[in-house]
Amino acid sequence: MNTYLSPLSRAAGIAGCSLVALSVTAPLANTAHATGVLAGTLIENTATATYQSGSTTGSVTSNKVTVKVDELLDVAVATLSTAPATATSEPAVLIYSVTNSGNGPEAFNLAADPKTSGNGFDGTIKSVVLDSNSNGVYDPGVDTVLTAGALATPVLAPDKSTKVFVLVDLPAGATDAQTSQVRLTATAQTGSGTPGTSFSGKGEGGGDAVVGLTTASANSLAALIASLANISLSKSATILDPFGTAKPVPGAIVTYSLAAKITGSGTLDGLHVIDTIPDGTTYVPGSLKLDSAALTDGVDGDAGVGGASGIDVTLGKITGGTTKTVAFSVKIN
Amino acid sequence: MKLSFLIKSLAGAATMVAMAGPALAAAQSAPSPVTLKGDVMLEKIVTENGVSKTQLVEPKVVIPGDHLLFTTRYHNDGAQAVTNFVVTNPLPSAVALASESAPGTEVSIDGGKTWGQLGSLKVTGTDGASRSATAADVTHVRWTIPTIAPGASGEVQYHGIVR
Repeated sequence: MNTYLSPLSRAAGIAGCSLVALSVTAPLANTAHATGVLAGTLIENTATATYQSGSTTGSVTSNKVTVKVDELLDVAVATLSTAPATATSEPAVLIYSVTNSGNGPEAFNLAADPKTSGNGFDGTIKSVVLDSNSNGVYDPGVDTVLTAGALATPVLAPDKSTKVFVLVDLPAGATDAQTSQVRLTATAQTGSGTPGTSFSGKGEGGGDAVVGLTTASANSLAALIASLANISLSKSATILDPFGTAKPVPGAIVTYSLAAKITGSGTLDGLHVIDTIPDGTTYVPGSLKLDSAALTDGVDGDAGVGGASGIDVTLGKITGGTTKTVAFSVKIN
Repeated sequence: MKLSFLIKSLAGAATMVAMAGPALAAAQSAPSPVTLKGDVMLEKIVTENGVSKTQLVEPKVVIPGDHLLFTTRYHNDGAQAVTNFVVTNPLPSAVALASESAPGTEVSIDGGKTWGQLGSLKVTGTDGASRSATAADVTHVRWTIPTIAPGASGEVQYHGIVR
């Protein structure tokens, strides 16, 4: 192991050469790769010399020196979602890409961690899915759901990447508009660690595998946002008696108003506003209204049903920020 | 019969060539007065007490980006001087010339057809634009040693980077 100072100083002088600008149409065919020459490539070097000795000329060829390129273990993980993914009653779908930035074929173990500092809530990892059909979109029933305990990419060729979906459910306690981040980590199956760590004989082509500058492990954070909705119902009443005043006497008409206020960024589905007819009163036929529009009492095409047993108005799917008001009247017996 | 004769005739010709062969080979294989021996070492940067220096180690583990030092040693075993000794070394396709090797070294970027100093060579890209060649474009290096005295030896070297 000698310390090298100036190796070329030992090379013999170079014959004068003409400084003519030579032009060639180049790009060489070479085996260069974005991530370097492939593991297992043989570097073979041979020099040839020609010379004169007296009146004869001759040539001589050196022995061939050969070096095998070992496998470099490197990986890159990126988040492909630009905006936080929305989690409702359905899980959020976070999209990542995992790229083999080494020079040999390699599979990478995957780990999704929902606990990140600054999280409004910690999501629940429902599943880790490979984008089997490479369309960048999670296709339930088509893309491969990885088995817990065997979370890994397939073997990726150098420079190749795969997309990974992480499905995250909201925990019980999450409130609307809260955000959270999930970290996906990919680690080379052959090994990882401090750059330069070498795994003897584990490389492609029987050489060594060497950990590259990425430590053969990389991660990326993707965000999700809770999109939930809440409902509050308020009931009020106005009385109109036969004398034009507001006394609750027999014959007076009591009009009830039920305001359903939906708040939050999400939606609520399957909403009904249901009320009963108070004892001592009688439903006023045809008095049922939704947002001031009259509804028929019968079970028919419209959203409402009214009668002696009470009222039932179907609101269906309502997005946050909406208020629906149901009104009906009863007569005091 | 005619065909058979033709074949025999050809066979005869082949034999004559084969007989001529050994004589020709003998003329060429007069023992070369010069020997060439190649070697490769891995240049490893080590830092000791905050000072970085390069060590040459056996290339047991080589990965893209590593620097290799290729050395060719020559020795004149003959009784008379060898002149106009030109050592040509094609670069392995997986190795790019390190820029530190370029100054003063005669290089080729077209497979050894034309030669010059790197700074004087131009590359025409696929878009037709011309640019100065870089060390990564080099396909061959060569050195010319005017005279090697009987019994004298020396070495030529280039630094390469694993692509």
